[in-house]
Amino acid sequence: MRDTRRSRIVLAVLVLVSITLIVFDLRGGDSGPTRPLRVAGESLLGSAERAMATVVVPVRGLLESLGGLGDKDARIAQLEADNARLQAELDTVANDRARVADLEALLGLVSTNDYETVPAQVIAVGPAQGFAWTVTIDAGSRDGIERDMSVISGAGLVGRTIDVGPTTSTVLLIVDATSSVGGRLSGTSQIGIVSGTGRQDSLTMQLLDPLAVVDVGDVVVSFGSEGGRPYAPGIPIGVVTEMRGTEGQLTRSAILEPYSDISRLDIVGVVLRAPESPPRSTLEPTAEGG
Amino acid sequence: MLVRRAIVSAVLLVLAVLIEVTVLAPLPFPGATPTLVLVVVVILASQFGASTGAVAGFAGGLLLDIAPPAAGTIGITALLLTVVGYAVGRFAEVDDRPWWSFAVLAALAAPLVVFAGALLGGLLGDPRVRWDEVIGLMFSAAGYALALGLLLTLPLRRLCRWAVPEAYPR
Repeated sequence: MRDTRRSRIVLAVLVLVSITLIVFDLRGGDSGPTRPLRVAGESLLGSAERAMATVVVPVRGLLESLGGLGDKDARIAQLEADNARLQAELDTVANDRARVADLEALLGLVSTNDYETVPAQVIAVGPAQGFAWTVTIDAGSRDGIERDMSVISGAGLVGRTIDVGPTTSTVLLIVDATSSVGGRLSGTSQIGIVSGTGRQDSLTMQLLDPLAVVDVGDVVVSFGSEGGRPYAPGIPIGVVTEMRGTEGQLTRSAILEPYSDISRLDIVGVVLRAPESPPRSTLEPTAEGG
Repeated sequence: MLVRRAIVSAVLLVLAVLIEVTVLAPLPFPGATPTLVLVVVVILASQFGASTGAVAGFAGGLLLDIAPPAAGTIGITALLLTVVGYAVGRFAEVDDRPWWSFAVLAALAAPLVVFAGALLGGLLGDPRVRWDEVIGLMFSAAGYALALGLLLTLPLRRLCRWAVPEAYPR
């Protein structure tokens, strides 16, 4: 009987503590009283996750490849066909490359490789039932990473850092419902806001100009924030798959498919510094260039 | 006895949190991420009673709330798992409950936690909650919790018995 009473008191106290934490966390924001808890989580649990990842990441790769064992044959056939085609194309590449180099020098273009990035491995993912699309990467302030830096993959924009610990950082992915990125339709001056939908395969872009001409298949790149933070300019975000709303209506939006495969993130890059001049913006020959 | 109980619970909970975010969440399970922490809380509560169950639930939930890349409100999971730990502890007070009944209990608790989490998040103004996905998440969470419960109850019981023999008078 006494034990029952004691456990009831324990329950009441812990429920009260939890509710207090919830209230503090909601009201406090970034400088609130729960901040030390997050910092402790980021540094202590972050380091533990990092240690765990050294064991887990190879195993995870093995599990995933086991899952795909069935379609290995089809993949090999596909790759052989691709290989033959690419071999044929290779002959023309050397010639093209020389021409591209000349053109680039002429136009003073900055290639996208000029983003200064830190490579990082995705080591942890938020549980699906939390509805948040966030991941942890194994690089932190010791690697020069700060809050609000762009994170990219080989395919395109992935997200931005929202929390940085000593050796790990948390990345808010572009598909998260709270994420919004300034986007520009490549090749035109149309701009808009690209927001996450909470689904991994689609983004919505709210176009600022209701008369904008947008076609399915158009490419959207990041518009770039001031100083390249949080989003560096010129990073491909996704491709338009559908238009919502008719031309001339007050708001028009496009559905995009993100370039980076959010469900299979592995190695990503954190952009420390965007190129001095954003890609494709300077179209005059440089003075000292040849 | 209290110290050993605390150490066993702490080690199991920290491991469960780490495995949940680094192993289970990245794997492409359909629907919810298997709720390993909840299953461990249920097993600890079934072994050590309602007080320890509530404390283990609070600790495990808080760890999940702050373990990177957590982005939700701190305290929500702690609150829900506290209640789960307490309730399971009370259920276990009657002797001769069959061992699998706790796996079933985990499978009942998991979807409730998913639903309550979405409800609390929605009420507190989290813009991320997607109600069209909640049903699917609840069913998958129940299935994973049942599987994990059946898999882990007996081994973890043996571990608890080995580490804290004083808690078992017989």
